[in-house]
Amino acid sequence: MEGGRPPLDRAMLDRMAEWCEEIARDAGSGAEVELFLQESRGLQVRVFSGGVEDLRYSHGRGLGIRVVKEGRLGYAYTTDCRWEGVRRAAEEAIRNSRYSDPDEHNFIPHPRQVDLEDLGIYHPQLLEWDASRKVEMALELERLTLAADPRVRKVEAASYADGVSEVFLANSRGFRGSYLSGHCYCYVFPIAEEDGEAQTGFSFDAAVKPEDLDLGKVAREASDMAVSQLGARSHPSFRAVVVLDRMVAAEFVGFLAAALNAEAVLKGRSFLVGREGEQVAAPLVTVVDDGLLRGGLGSYPFDDEGVPSCRKELIEDGVLRGFLHNSYTASRAGTASTGNASRISFREPPRVGASNIFLAPRKGDRDELVRQVGEGIFINQLIGVHAGANPVTGEISLGATGRRIRNGELAEPLREITLAGSALDFLRQVVMVGEDLVFLPFEGSLGAPSLAVEGVMISGKG
Amino acid sequence: MVDEEILFQVIAEVGRKGADFCDVFVEERTTYQLRLEEGRVQENVSGAERGAGIRVLVGETAAYAYTNSLERESLLEAAKAAAAAARSGKGGSFSLGGPRRLSSPLHHPVLEEPDSVEREFKLDLVSRVDRSARAAGTRVSQVVVILGEGRQRVLVANSLGELAEDERTRVRIVAQVVARKGKEAQTGTESPGILGGYELFRSHTPEEIGRKAAEQALIMLEARQAPTGPMPVVIANATGGVLFHEACGHGLEADAVYKGASVFAGRLGERVASPLVFAYDDATLPQRWGSFRFDDEGVPATRTPLIEEGVLVGYINDRKRAMRDGVTATGNGRRQSYRYLPIPRMTNTFIAAGSARPEDIIADTALGLYAKKLGGGEVNPVTGDFIFSVTEGYMIRGGRLAEPVRGATLIGNGPKVLRDIDAVADDLDFDTGMCGKDGQLVPVTTGQPTLRVRELVVGGTTEVI
Repeated sequence: MEGGRPPLDRAMLDRMAEWCEEIARDAGSGAEVELFLQESRGLQVRVFSGGVEDLRYSHGRGLGIRVVKEGRLGYAYTTDCRWEGVRRAAEEAIRNSRYSDPDEHNFIPHPRQVDLEDLGIYHPQLLEWDASRKVEMALELERLTLAADPRVRKVEAASYADGVSEVFLANSRGFRGSYLSGHCYCYVFPIAEEDGEAQTGFSFDAAVKPEDLDLGKVAREASDMAVSQLGARSHPSFRAVVVLDRMVAAEFVGFLAAALNAEAVLKGRSFLVGREGEQVAAPLVTVVDDGLLRGGLGSYPFDDEGVPSCRKELIEDGVLRGFLHNSYTASRAGTASTGNASRISFREPPRVGASNIFLAPRKGDRDELVRQVGEGIFINQLIGVHAGANPVTGEISLGATGRRIRNGELAEPLREITLAGSALDFLRQVVMVGEDLVFLPFEGSLGAPSLAVEGVMISGKG
Repeated sequence: MVDEEILFQVIAEVGRKGADFCDVFVEERTTYQLRLEEGRVQENVSGAERGAGIRVLVGETAAYAYTNSLERESLLEAAKAAAAAARSGKGGSFSLGGPRRLSSPLHHPVLEEPDSVEREFKLDLVSRVDRSARAAGTRVSQVVVILGEGRQRVLVANSLGELAEDERTRVRIVAQVVARKGKEAQTGTESPGILGGYELFRSHTPEEIGRKAAEQALIMLEARQAPTGPMPVVIANATGGVLFHEACGHGLEADAVYKGASVFAGRLGERVASPLVFAYDDATLPQRWGSFRFDDEGVPATRTPLIEEGVLVGYINDRKRAMRDGVTATGNGRRQSYRYLPIPRMTNTFIAAGSARPEDIIADTALGLYAKKLGGGEVNPVTGDFIFSVTEGYMIRGGRLAEPVRGATLIGNGPKVLRDIDAVADDLDFDTGMCGKDGQLVPVTTGQPTLRVRELVVGGTTEVI
C-alpha cells in the first residue's frame, strides 16, 4: 500500500482477455462477453474530540461478468478473481442469460479508440502520504473548526477520506483498457450552541491531491453555517424569490441528472419525457455533462462498458438537447452512446450515470445574488432530497433551512420551512446564475454555482 | 467457511501489539436478483462474495482493515494494518479468553429455501405482480418488479474468546408503479420482505402486491394539491413507523448520544413523549426483515425498551459504546458487510399498539390530514427537525376521509411530535426498508399503529385548505 503509484497490472488485462474468449466459447455461438474488474483501496478517518474515532483501511477487488446471447442479458459477480472463482461466476452469468427475455438492444459495444490524454484524475500523493499525515489533517480540520467561533462548542465529526481505484475492462469484441483514478475529500459537521439551542453546519472540500484540500476554508464555511442558524425560526408561508447556496443548487443538479438519464426517459420515469427540443428552463440555464473535465471527480477515459468519454450540453440556453446514454439506451433511442455507461461497482451491470454534470456558471457570487434579489429567502440546506423530490413527476417538496433576505442582505435565520413546486417551474423561473461553481463529490460529481429562482412557494408557520 | 483457530491466532497476534479489544468478522454472501420492467425480465444477476474485517479497539479509537481473502496470510496482514493504526491511541491490553461458542435460543426458520425454489417459479412471481398492477387500471404506464434474495453467513470471533455464528436468508420484492394521465405522473410502491424464504408470498400474494402499488399511483393521479400550514395529522399504521425511526430512533443511537448530537442525550428517565407512547427496538421478532439471531458483533438479538409511558428508558448501542458507558450491549452493532465497521443501528423499531380504534381516531378529527403512506424522510438529529413526504394522503373533513391530496410533506420536530401524540390505535403493523447511516445500508423494519399528532406543519403547494 505504501510507496506510490501501484503499477497497472498489464498481465491482468491479458488474462482477462483470454478469459473472455474462453467464456464466450462456453456460452456458445453468438455470445458476447465482457469482464469488468475493479480494485480499490482507500483510507477513511474520522476524528472526534481531539482523538481518532475510527480509521478504516479498505482494499478489495471484484469482477463482474456480462454475457449477452441472442439479446438475453446475464450477469454475475465474484470477489474471487482467480480462474476458479471467475469460471463459477461465468457459469452463473450464462445460466442467468437463459432466464432473461431477449432485447435486440442488448449488446457489448465494439471497441473504439480511446484518447489517452492525461485527465489529471490520479496523483501518487494519495498513496504516498502515510496514514498519520492524513489523520493529522482530520484533527487539524477539527481544531480549526472549533477555533473559528466561540459558539462552536463541538464538532460532531471531522473526516478525511481517500480512495484509489483501478478499473480493468475487456470484452470478447477485442476491447481492452484500464485506468487509475483517485481522489480525496474532507468534511466537517460542527455544532454551534447558544442559550440551550444547538444548530449544525457542514462543509467539505475535494481534490485529487491531499495537499490541495483547503482545511481553513472548510472550517470557516461550516462554522459560519452553524452559527448563522442560531435562533432560527419558521416563517409564514409566502411566494418568494429564493437564492440557493451552490451546494444546495448542486443537489438540485443531482436530481436533474436522474431525470436526464435516458434509461429513466425511455422507461417513462422522467418528468422530461417527450420534451427534447423544448424550452424546459430559463435561457440562463445550460447543463453540461463532461467526462473529460480535467481533474474532475467524475472523469474517466472510457465509460464502464468501454465507450470513450465526451463533453455534451444536455440543456443549452434552456433548451433540452439530449439525454445521457449508454450503448443500450442509445440503440433504443436510435442515437449514439454519450459514454455514460456507469456502475456503482462490479456488483451490477452497467446502467446510465452522469460523469461531471454541472450547471454552467454565469456571473456573480452568492452575496452578489443576494444583493440583487433584495427581498427573499436564502436556502443553505435542503432536508429530504431523496424523499421529497420525485424525478418521475418532477414534484418537489422539501424541508429547508436558510436565512431571510432583507434589503439585499442576509437577515434572520430560518428553520422548519418547506419549499414546494414542480421542477419545470423551478427551471423556468431561474432568474440568476452565479459564477461560483462548486462540485459535490458525493453520489457522483455534481456541480453548480449559486442560483436565484423566483416565485417559489415557501411554507411554514408564524 | 474459515478455520476458526486461525481467527484466534490473528486476534492473539493483535493482543501482542496491545489493544483493548479485537474482533474478526467473516462473511460469505450469495445474492440473486431478478428485474422485470416493461413486461420483460431484463436482468438476472447473481453474486458470490466473501471477506473478513478485523477491528482493533484502543481507547476511543477503532481501527479497521478488511480483505477479500480468508487465507491466514491475508488476515494477518489486515490485522497488522489495523493494529498499527490503533496504536495512535493510548495503548491497552487484553488476554485472549478461551474459545467459547455462543448459542441463542432464537430460531428464524426458512420454510422455503431460495435455492430449492425453481427459477421458473420466481419468473412467474414477478410477472404475476406485473400483470396484476397493469390490470388495476388503463392509466398504469410503467411497472418495475425487483425480486431479491440473499443468504449471508457470518462468523464473529473476539478477544473475549467468543465465537458466534449466524445465517440470514432474506427475500424481498419491490413493486414500483407509474400511472399517467396526460403529462401528469404519479408513483406507487409496495415492498414486503422477510428474514426467511419464499413463504413470504403466502402472506403477500403477488396479485395483492401489484394491485396495492398500482392503486396508490392511480389514486394519487386523482389527488389535488395538498394544502399548506399547521393541522392535526393522523398517521396510518405500518409505513408511518418510518417517522419514529427517522425523527426519534436515530437520536437514540448511542454514538449520536455520546457526541451530544442528539436531542435525547442525557435525558434517560425523563418524560420525552406523551404517556400514550411505548416504543421498542426488537431484533428477536420472528422472521421480520430487520431480525437476526446475533448482531454483527456476535451479541445476541435483544428486545430493547426505548420509551415506556412516555419516559425515555433506553438507548441502543454496540459493543464499543456499551463498554465505554459500562452498560449491557443491546445487540445493535450492525454493518452493511465485511467492508464496514459495526455501528449502533436500529433493527425492527416500532411504537407499540394502544387501545383506540383507528376509525374512532379519524371520526374524532374535524379537519386534518390522513397520511396513509409515508415515503422517505430526513432528520437533523441535533435539533430533531425532520421532513417526510406523504406518498398517499387524504384530507379528513368532519371526521371522515375526504379527497386524496398529493405533494404533501410533514415537517416538524421529533421530540415535539412525541409529546403531541394524542391518540394511539390498536392496529400495529410493520413495513420494510433499507436504512442508511455513515454510508452503510442495513435492512430494517419500521412499525406503528395508527396515531394522531395534535399539530404538524404540512408543506404543500396551495394555501387553500
